[in-house]
Amino acid sequence: MKKTIAVAIAALFAGSALAQQAAGDPPWKQGMNPEQQKSTLHPFAPHMTGRDAKELPVSSLKVPAGFKVEVWADGIPEARSLALGDNGTVFVSNRNAKSIYAVVDKGGKREVKEILKGLDAPNGIVFSKGTLFVAERGRITRYDGIEGKLDSPGEPKVVVDGLDPDRQPGHFWKYLALGPDGKLYFNIGAPGNIVMPNYMQASVMRVDPDKGVLETVALGVRNSVGMTFRGKELWFTNHARDWLGDDSPNDTLHRVALGAKSVPNFGYPFCHQGDIQDPQFGKSRSCAEFSKPAQKLGAHIAPLGLRFYTGKMFPAEYQGNIFIAMHGSWNRTVKQGYNIMRVKVDQQGHASAPEPFVTGFLQDEKADPPMWGRPVDLLVLKDGSMLFSDDYNGILYRVSYSK
Amino acid sequence: MTFAARSAAASAAAFFFLAAPARAADPQLCAACHGPNGNSQIPANPSIAQQPRQFIETALYQFREGNRKNEQMSPMAEKLSNAELRELGKFFSEQKAAPPQHKTGAEAAAAGPGLAEKYNCVQCHGPKLMGQQHIPRIAGQQYDYLRVQLHLFKAGKRADIDGNMTSAAKSASEQELDTLADYVAGLSPQ
Ligand code: HEC
Ligand code: HEC
Repeated sequence: MKKTIAVAIAALFAGSALAQQAAGDPPWKQGMNPEQQKSTLHPFAPHMTGRDAKELPVSSLKVPAGFKVEVWADGIPEARSLALGDNGTVFVSNRNAKSIYAVVDKGGKREVKEILKGLDAPNGIVFSKGTLFVAERGRITRYDGIEGKLDSPGEPKVVVDGLDPDRQPGHFWKYLALGPDGKLYFNIGAPGNIVMPNYMQASVMRVDPDKGVLETVALGVRNSVGMTFRGKELWFTNHARDWLGDDSPNDTLHRVALGAKSVPNFGYPFCHQGDIQDPQFGKSRSCAEFSKPAQKLGAHIAPLGLRFYTGKMFPAEYQGNIFIAMHGSWNRTVKQGYNIMRVKVDQQGHASAPEPFVTGFLQDEKADPPMWGRPVDLLVLKDGSMLFSDDYNGILYRVSYSK
Repeated sequence: MTFAARSAAASAAAFFFLAAPARAADPQLCAACHGPNGNSQIPANPSIAQQPRQFIETALYQFREGNRKNEQMSPMAEKLSNAELRELGKFFSEQKAAPPQHKTGAEAAAAGPGLAEKYNCVQCHGPKLMGQQHIPRIAGQQYDYLRVQLHLFKAGKRADIDGNMTSAAKSASEQELDTLADYVAGLSPQ
């Protein structure tokens, strides 16, 4: 299958300046121009065994006055998405690894358990009414009554299958979020950096967990790995294409009103960030035909999880703000991101430019690697404090506030 | 590997298995196959001394999870916890690499540097091919081991954490890979 795709990509680019890709290149190299073939930029590999928080410069993390950030749990290799159980269990997913972890508070001591193993890129998790939903590459499953049987969750029931029929490389790990309609929302990304997607790809989809029927929510979305809701609005982050330079195009924040009659198309692969035509695919298209993002977040900054703050602990000015975890750039000579940003939104959906909230993971913007940690997803706990995950080290941090 | 070397390795391994101390993460357990302080004396086995810590941890993780398989190595990694993998990674990354056992032929000495540039080996493995992050040191590695691994990557048969190395090996010809192995194995690790 890999071979067919390489051939298909080569065919797409035949005769163009982009036809330089060597057969078998990983998807992130796709779309380089000839001069970029010698580029030393590359994605960063996480520490697959996790790292000891004690060995890391955790005290260099910075938060605004009155806030505090501390390590909440370590020893959760490749900690990705977060979900909160009714009894307070914090569920943590993996992307390259294959497990789901549960962190349980036992009289002030937190115990980390690997509760599910051998899954296929189980990046997406949602907890609802006693059930843990897990989105693997190709399917979404459910583990009912999970908090009562963390030591033996048993076999899952399948909600929907066949989401990755071709088993090809690409952006096929999934984020999972629960909508106000009780449906599960998730992404199916693009199969490469800049490639013509098929009908199911570069989309946000949803599925009714009781019926297993899929619906398209948004198109032209290269890869969203963070979604959340405010009333009947879906908000999600999106990663724009690489290899168009340090400052372009921007990664974006999007808003979709549920129940609208038409499915919005945000432009990929023709148009990026609402106003930049792709040099190859966009030549004979106009950005005017596509929906616009709610905000530009920065080029290659890699926004992942996002949450509206509705907890009771942070000061009033943070109410209703969005926090976004920026995984940080690799496809940029001067690195940026690797932080938690704050975006203010009004009722009409206008979003402010992002401003830093938790910083300090980025040590040297020109070094390789430039950072010692990478935020992925956020979770507001019942007391109003906020957890965030770091897949580079396998650590969860907690941000709290006191006057 | 010669028959003598193979059986020496096997009996050394057997000895270590029999005399195994309780701790599966004892670095002494690795010496039978990877040599004193991780400097392999066996052509088919890799040196693990002075490898980047993240590479050692990742390789051990890959064996433990069954993503990379080897009759001799897989059982060694099977029972190790993440903390133990990190301990072993720290230990062997801090051992000094021994001088190379291989002498590069004249042809490879001439063609090697150009090929290492052309196929971007130096971009990922570092200017001196000493490795970085999850990318291994290949300078001064065992020649037989390097050759086998390079051809396995080209054939898509060597486990690969991010697809990068498979893609690099696919761009070069079989003959160029042999030349690269010959060149790289003779480099002094520094
Ligand atoms: C019985 C022999 C044997 C023992 C004992 C052994 N190994 Fe290995 N190890 C191997 C072989 C053979 C390979 C190469 C496997 C292959 O070809 O893929 C290997 C590969 C490795 C690699 C990957 C190296 C690379 O460059 O890709 C690491 C790291 C490693 N071993 C660490 C250890 C550690 C640490 C121990 C001790 C806990 C250990 N090994 C014990 C035989 C052994
Ligand atoms: C884009 C980055 C990249 C490039 C270019 C690259 N490598 Fe690698 N190489 C890697 C990574 C990453 C690994 C580790 C793969 C794994 O074990 O998952 C690796 C592994 C290897 C290994 C296996 C060594 C061992 O100890 O197991 C050899 C040999 C090797 N590379 C040689 C080369 C040569 C020769 C070139 C140039 C033709 C090259 N590499 C180019 C990234 C790269």
